[in-house]
Amino acid sequence: MSLWRYLGRRVLLLAPMLVGITLLTFLLSHAVPADPVTAYLGPQASGDPQVIAAFRHRWGLDRPLPEQYGIYLWNLARGDMGVSISTRQPVMVDLKQHLPATIELATAAMLVSLLVSIPLGMLSAVRRDTMLDQLARIGSLIGVSTPIFWLGIVAIVLFYAYLGWAPSPGRLSMEIPPPPPVTGFVVVDAVLARRLDVAADALRHLALPALVLSSYSVGVVTRMMRGSMLEVLGEEYVRTARAKGLATWAVVVRHAARNSLIPVVTVIGLSFGGLLSGAVVTETVFAWPGLGSYAFHSATALDFPAIMGVGLVVATIYILVNLVVDIAYAFVDPRIRVG
Amino acid sequence: MNRDQGGGVPRFNRRSLIWLLGGGLGYPAVTHLLGPESAQAAAPSGTLLVGMQLLMKSIDPGRTIEASAYMINHAIYDSLVTFDGEDLKTPKPQLATGWKASPDGKTYTFTLRPNVRFSSGNPMTSADVKWSLDRVINLKANTKFLIEGIEEVLAPDPLTVVVRLSESKPSIIPILSSPSLCVVDSKVVMENGGEAGPDAKDKDRAEPYLSAHSAGTGAYTLGSYIPNQELTLVKNPAHWRGAPKFDRIVIRHIPEPATQQLQIARGDLDVATGIGPDQAQVLRTAPGVTVKTSLIANTFYVLMNNNPQIGGPFANPRVQQAVRYALDYAGIMAIAGSGAQRLASIIPNSFPGSLDPRTAVTTDREKAKALLREAGVGEVRGRITYPAGATSWGVQVDLLVQKIQTDLNAVGMTVDLNGLASLTALQEYRDGKNQIGVWGWTADWPDPSNFLVYLPGRTVGKRAGWPADAGPEAAALAKLGDQAEREVDTPKRTALYERVARRIAEIGPYAPLFQPAVPYAIRSNVRGATYNSVWEVDLYPLAKSG
Repeated sequence: MSLWRYLGRRVLLLAPMLVGITLLTFLLSHAVPADPVTAYLGPQASGDPQVIAAFRHRWGLDRPLPEQYGIYLWNLARGDMGVSISTRQPVMVDLKQHLPATIELATAAMLVSLLVSIPLGMLSAVRRDTMLDQLARIGSLIGVSTPIFWLGIVAIVLFYAYLGWAPSPGRLSMEIPPPPPVTGFVVVDAVLARRLDVAADALRHLALPALVLSSYSVGVVTRMMRGSMLEVLGEEYVRTARAKGLATWAVVVRHAARNSLIPVVTVIGLSFGGLLSGAVVTETVFAWPGLGSYAFHSATALDFPAIMGVGLVVATIYILVNLVVDIAYAFVDPRIRVG
Repeated sequence: MNRDQGGGVPRFNRRSLIWLLGGGLGYPAVTHLLGPESAQAAAPSGTLLVGMQLLMKSIDPGRTIEASAYMINHAIYDSLVTFDGEDLKTPKPQLATGWKASPDGKTYTFTLRPNVRFSSGNPMTSADVKWSLDRVINLKANTKFLIEGIEEVLAPDPLTVVVRLSESKPSIIPILSSPSLCVVDSKVVMENGGEAGPDAKDKDRAEPYLSAHSAGTGAYTLGSYIPNQELTLVKNPAHWRGAPKFDRIVIRHIPEPATQQLQIARGDLDVATGIGPDQAQVLRTAPGVTVKTSLIANTFYVLMNNNPQIGGPFANPRVQQAVRYALDYAGIMAIAGSGAQRLASIIPNSFPGSLDPRTAVTTDREKAKALLREAGVGEVRGRITYPAGATSWGVQVDLLVQKIQTDLNAVGMTVDLNGLASLTALQEYRDGKNQIGVWGWTADWPDPSNFLVYLPGRTVGKRAGWPADAGPEAAALAKLGDQAEREVDTPKRTALYERVARRIAEIGPYAPLFQPAVPYAIRSNVRGATYNSVWEVDLYPLAKSG
């Protein structure tokens, strides 16, 4: 099967999966034993039947549940995700204002994770049981086992409050007006607006939360890379390559590294999911206005359209990441065929 | 796909490894180098930086009753009446220069301030006042309870507004200070979907406009607003009291109190309103930071359901009294934090009609045990419902509830904790299904009338299973409450509220606890900061030196 046909099939499968996700999210969010009236109308208004009726009517909550779901799907099919009850903006606008912040953060964290953990894992395997390997092991263990909330606070206290190396939490310094939103990615928008000073400010703000957020995946990927590398280094073809007289680094990089990347790619895909969920906590600590904090507000406020919107976006991201991982296999290992 | 040839596949070589390694180590190094520059950037003196929990569903004045939205709208809009700083006892004129009540207390005539203009340049007249109030009346939104009792708003001439009530209701004056009842530029709002007529409930479309623009006479105008993220205010140079001190105010949603603490300590914030008692304690010793506490117009209380089917033994008046004597108030006040005040009843100490805290019930465990014996209900066992993990006005509810549990156990009652997610707990409370609960009531407007909700048959009374026809005592109390609500003569009114408060303390299914105080922090060069529980920080008088 060609790559394109494979991609086409996967994308077609996306639609029924997403519909399933909307149904699941809809049922789960309506199973909560609380009424949006409690969340939205104050203590006085929630005792007034006229106000309750007007509220339910305005947000379509006076219709039977199956009808509400049907209307949602119908609107969704036309690209309308509804209006958020807790921000009074179309959910699409909310997502445009929150999603880029999270993607920016998760991508930066992923980048940090790859740049640190792959070379570190390789080195640990090659220099097995040396001081470097031990340090990497301890580092990974700390990264995997430290709660990200705690790590975030400690990082802010140390690098922002005491050392003054990191800027204040948030995406930009408060006194700097944000660039006009084009893509929603502050760094990109600043460059588009030819404001390199603003782009630099945004990058500075990105650094610390990205480092904190990457801690878990750095730990996991480093250990995975090391384990996988050790296994490959024991293979016969590596011995053959060495016997041919190839330089150690040529053996490691050209022959061993690529083959040991296969299981690592899976872990990277999974840990990207972890980055997105870890972002909820990191975003709170770093006052980072991303999808995580949006999801949290919507869930605690019983904002049904927003909860559905977040569910759809997160599911789509997971599915796409899995797709990318599948395709990446083929690049890393030519023997694997997609399909 | 067949990639046996391996063409085009990126290969790792020594150079790329070095590059990768360099990148891995270089990234943190670069960020280190980039760091200090921004950390030291100080806010320009024309800009005020505010950190708070900026969570609100709407900033359309007619559709919001949230404190953070009130803080914003109090800066953007003006009302007929206002209060000055933290004094919530004396209503002051704002867009009205004065008012007169008819002898029967059913008609109020307001004289408007002349020569006031909206930020659009339109003159503010009685037509705008009428339109704004009519809109709230007809929207039937969450603000409706504020205008309850208003029969008609008239605009006989451009500088006179007449408000006609169905019954005498002197609390209308403090109620009209509410930012929900502010005066909007009717021309501009109408052009942008605003509707104030009888079908406004279905036809009004002004909310999106009012979320992105302001249409008021206030000291600031709305610059930008991204919900749950950031809001900016811009100076209104033509403001009738004189232009405010800042060109721009940036208000950012900073959810974590510890983050706000660090930011204000480093000077990256000028005002932080979202800190708790722990952060306040640290900040008190931080150079350049001033910590203040403000008494909040809120009453914390223990609810005991008076309906025997739900309250069980706790519906028994003697058990309720025993609970009041069993509580260790000194310990509870320590949990309430510095600045909090003990309450003798359910009207906050900051309002007329409140009782002297020295007359409050004092701990007497022997008396509590005796009362339990007298009640003769056998084993007293119950369940206390509360929002788990919640912090309300700086009070950690879990701690408070655990303390109450310990105190009740000490006199022989058995109480289980039922901590629920905030919304679920609230739902159970509003449905009147709490056997025992720990809650607070915050003033929607600064007046004791707002605390009549505790009366039998009113909002909180109903939640406590205490209907107006619960018995002759309850019926008499409900009547006394109605009388207090309508009384126009101030000394008589205060006396009536005191009687209501005393009676509720004696026979109500409640144990009044305390009035909380919230801490907030400002940089020491910021002047004029006050905080009240209706609109939090008044932004207009704020100024910065140096």
